[in-house]
Amino acid sequence: MVAVATLATVAGAGCKAKTGAGGPAPEPPGGGATGGPTKVKIVSSLPRTGSANAQTTTMVNGIRLALDEANFKVGDFTIEFEDWDDASAKKGDWDPEVEAANADRAANDKDILFYLGTYNSGAAKISMPVLNKAGLVMISPGNTYPGLTKPGTGEPNEPAVYRPSGRVTYYRVVPADDIQGKVGAQFAKQRGLKSVYVLYDGGLYGQGIANVFANTAEDIGLKVLSPGAEKIDPKAQEYRSLMTKIKALKPDLVYFGGTTQANAGQIAKDMVAVGLTAKLMVPDGCFENAFIEAAGAQNLNGRAFITFGGLPPSELKGKGAEFVKNYRAKFHSEPEGYAVYGYVAGKVALEALAKAGKKDRDAVREAMIGMGQTDGALGTWKFDANGDTSLTAMSVNTVKNAKFEFVALMGGAASQPANEPGKAPPK
Amino acid sequence: MPDAPQSLRWLRSLRRRPELLIVVALFLYPLLPVLDWIAGGVFGLDLQIGGNLLNVMIFAILALALNLQVGYAGLLQLGIAAFFAIGAYTTGIFTVEKYPFQLGFWGALALAPVMAGLAGLVLGAPTIRLRGDYLAIVTLGFGEVVRVVILNMENITDGPRGLNPIPPPWLPDWLAGAIGGGDSRRVGFFVMYYLALLVLVALVVLFRNLERSALGRSFAALREDELVAACMGINPARIKMIAFSTGAAVAGLAGALYATKLSTTAEPNTYDFTYSIMVLCCVIIGGLGSLRGVLLGAFVLLSFDNIVSPLITKLIQRAVGFGSTNVLLQFSNWRWLIFGTALVLMMRFRPEGLWPSSRVKAELHHEES
Amino acid sequence: MVTLLQQLLIGLTNGMVFALVALGYTMVYGILELINFAHGDLFMLASFLALTLIGAFGLETAGTAGLVLGLLAIVVLSGLFAAGLNWTIDRLVYRPLRNAPKLAPLVSAIGVSFILQNLGLFWGGLPMAVFGGGNSAAAPKSFPNLVSGENLLGPGAALRITAKDLMVVISSLVVMVALYAFVRFTRLGKAMRATAQNPLAARLMGIDVDRVIGATFLVGGGLAGFAAVIYGLYINTINFQIGYQNGLYAFTAAVLGGIGNIPGAVLGGLVIGFVRASSDQFIGAQWQPAVLFGMLILILVFRPQGLLGTNVREKV
Repeated sequence: MVAVATLATVAGAGCKAKTGAGGPAPEPPGGGATGGPTKVKIVSSLPRTGSANAQTTTMVNGIRLALDEANFKVGDFTIEFEDWDDASAKKGDWDPEVEAANADRAANDKDILFYLGTYNSGAAKISMPVLNKAGLVMISPGNTYPGLTKPGTGEPNEPAVYRPSGRVTYYRVVPADDIQGKVGAQFAKQRGLKSVYVLYDGGLYGQGIANVFANTAEDIGLKVLSPGAEKIDPKAQEYRSLMTKIKALKPDLVYFGGTTQANAGQIAKDMVAVGLTAKLMVPDGCFENAFIEAAGAQNLNGRAFITFGGLPPSELKGKGAEFVKNYRAKFHSEPEGYAVYGYVAGKVALEALAKAGKKDRDAVREAMIGMGQTDGALGTWKFDANGDTSLTAMSVNTVKNAKFEFVALMGGAASQPANEPGKAPPK
Repeated sequence: MPDAPQSLRWLRSLRRRPELLIVVALFLYPLLPVLDWIAGGVFGLDLQIGGNLLNVMIFAILALALNLQVGYAGLLQLGIAAFFAIGAYTTGIFTVEKYPFQLGFWGALALAPVMAGLAGLVLGAPTIRLRGDYLAIVTLGFGEVVRVVILNMENITDGPRGLNPIPPPWLPDWLAGAIGGGDSRRVGFFVMYYLALLVLVALVVLFRNLERSALGRSFAALREDELVAACMGINPARIKMIAFSTGAAVAGLAGALYATKLSTTAEPNTYDFTYSIMVLCCVIIGGLGSLRGVLLGAFVLLSFDNIVSPLITKLIQRAVGFGSTNVLLQFSNWRWLIFGTALVLMMRFRPEGLWPSSRVKAELHHEES
Repeated sequence: MVTLLQQLLIGLTNGMVFALVALGYTMVYGILELINFAHGDLFMLASFLALTLIGAFGLETAGTAGLVLGLLAIVVLSGLFAAGLNWTIDRLVYRPLRNAPKLAPLVSAIGVSFILQNLGLFWGGLPMAVFGGGNSAAAPKSFPNLVSGENLLGPGAALRITAKDLMVVISSLVVMVALYAFVRFTRLGKAMRATAQNPLAARLMGIDVDRVIGATFLVGGGLAGFAAVIYGLYINTINFQIGYQNGLYAFTAAVLGGIGNIPGAVLGGLVIGFVRASSDQFIGAQWQPAVLFGMLILILVFRPQGLLGTNVREKV
């Protein structure tokens, strides 16, 4: 497929016309008109099989809402959206082979102008170079591993290794973990917590954020009791032995870099089970109701902090609040934390297409440079030269009565949604 | 157009010489975009036949390795992914920029099977004499140990980050220019496609001859009756050892191809127990000890994952809309049910596999009667 | 010191849970020489049934008497469910393969394990409150904390012994002793041991081997059902994949103690519990699986008959 890209395009050009006329032309899922002057495809590549399904469903719903609002149309373009799965049942999670295949498929299909994904930073590592070579814009609603975009935060060859063409084609609407990890440590210090034990789930995301947390904690004078960040086996049945060992060190806080799927709920439970009274802090990978369900609300109430890149849905103002309202009305469920990022990724794609004005990857890529939103669902922000959002606001949440409750806004308060000028950010 | 008897003869020779199937793949290459185009028209889905064929070939190499161990020598191996991983990581360690000892793709390709084979020797030497099901558990345990060690030895393997980027196969400039005209991805794919094909053909021919050699007959004797075989002067441990470490080496080779194709070793958790089991499923569904069966098994299994599954998912999405959280509506959620049922039914009604070798079939039915 | 004592206690309780699962494994293996890969997944399905029943009975809000009665009912129902399912699987899948090469039932067992796991995934998608409304079928499910986790030695005491720990240890001991007595002294138990030793000779002595094997599957399944309830009440989280890890640990325990040997399985479970706890304490949590499986490989190489097993000749 890759080698024959040029050939495929030549053949493909003829084919597309034919399918449009006689073949079973795919309906746009929203029920928009078929055919139309120019068809543009937007695809998402997220793990739809397996345990991350709840978070990715909320993202896809967000994307869908954005497209629905535009009625699957931008100017003369008819938008077609495809919801791709980068997980395989074989793994029960994202699968490098599937993500690589998705990236290749997207690179070859000239109708595709935007690749919305991925959820897992490890998956992004695989598709980024492929899409970059193809000049296809990729907007991630969920990747937070810093090394994907920011020089000096990961391996020495990051992020250049993801940009073989030398141009930036990867953007993310969610702030990266170098900010989130730092903010977590600062919040712990503010709360008067003195010592911390840092754990992570053995995945790329968990490792990235736990290392940032541990390093920041050390820098700002918290005592890190673990040797750096300690890895756990996310498939283990329980962690009572580990928690007993930690209990003997009497930390004020246990930090777990990982997701709900990586057994964060069991960590919370076993802390309680062995009588470890320290607080628990977890990152955005646990900012979903599934985490509360997995951990049991009584094990989290008043003792867990969940950091999240941006404001929780309940705190969104203006356009953001409107989004939450529309989401509820359309999908009859509460948006999870990441829904708004799916929505904004979809919005940004549509706006970039409008700005580019033609069905051309290069034009779209140009249009993305310096893109941002004024007064959008996330407030006012724009992409920097690396493809990172200028938003740095982080919220810290806790759990009360089996629900997430917003506690504090940390980091770049200046980027607080600007639609209520004069009003100070909460707390 | 050939007349009927002629085409039949062609089919018959295909049955006898499965490596001819591979010749078909050879001639398919220039047709790939055309096939994709036709499939796109029929299914409305880009099937990426070329890329999938490459996946099938790499998977088939791995399955042939396992077939050597399970199908020929009767050693139930549940940890083939460990050797696959060792091959992939050897390739990574000897090609990525951060290490001083870069060998480039060709050097790594030569080294990967050596390392995996050595690992096979180290594991096999003390355990090969164990009874069948104990060996299964040892290999299963070994698979887990290798995965955890790779994950934890972060100084060498980069832990969960995996080693990348693994460079594409290096070719002299004039050759690369002749193939791809400066498009490095195109050159990379071309080389990978034909390299995998070459390896696959070589292995099929090799195993084909092996079946008819003294060693191959020793395998059959061992499978049928180890005691009698030993009495006839066959050294079971030695024969099993050959099969085990050679199989490990071939799996390592497949790992080298896999990592190069992905341009990263991916994260260590890729090479877990489920991967091993998938390869085993492939060998069993195709036909234990049958070369053509294993090739067919790899084809069926990967087609199911990469073609049938996305297609049905797309149909479901079209019918009910997407964004549904209903677990039953995600086709890939049915996969284990389908595979499990296939395995059970297979063992009950057709233990010799979809396309068995005549010898294994005879052995199985002999024992049943 | 207190920490070490606590680790021992954790090792003991965890070990008991592993041993319970291991018993079912070891019984089936003892008779059929079949590594029943599906056993762990049977255990998983039973835990899903237990959680479903907890939701259906509304046990989370029940009073003490209701709770005890409810739990007893759940133990019985899960046991019956798993026993029946195990027996059915044997009847439909393994029995037709009795004379086939050994690989055939083993591969079938892997197939059954896939099927059961997939059913577990679907089960988790039931729209019930205990399954989080079924929105995320694959997510871990919280098993409510029905047995108190309060420290019996007082809230300030350094060592922690809870009602939960006692429940696990005592109930497991009772079941183990009962099982041992059953196999040792009843007619059926004797028939099982005879069949395990030599099926052909047992048949010649007038034992209905198929019935005995069926009974073994029943008992093994019942144990898995019981273990599932205990596991849920103790660990408090289940998901459709717990069968794999627990099955593997249980199998390790069975092999460790000497496969086919009932006290051996209990000993093996305890050893695994202790090794796990000390590996977390002294080596680091990330090495736990490597330590366990490394140990398994070493045992198989140097003492394949296990700690308590006698040397079993491979039947040719």
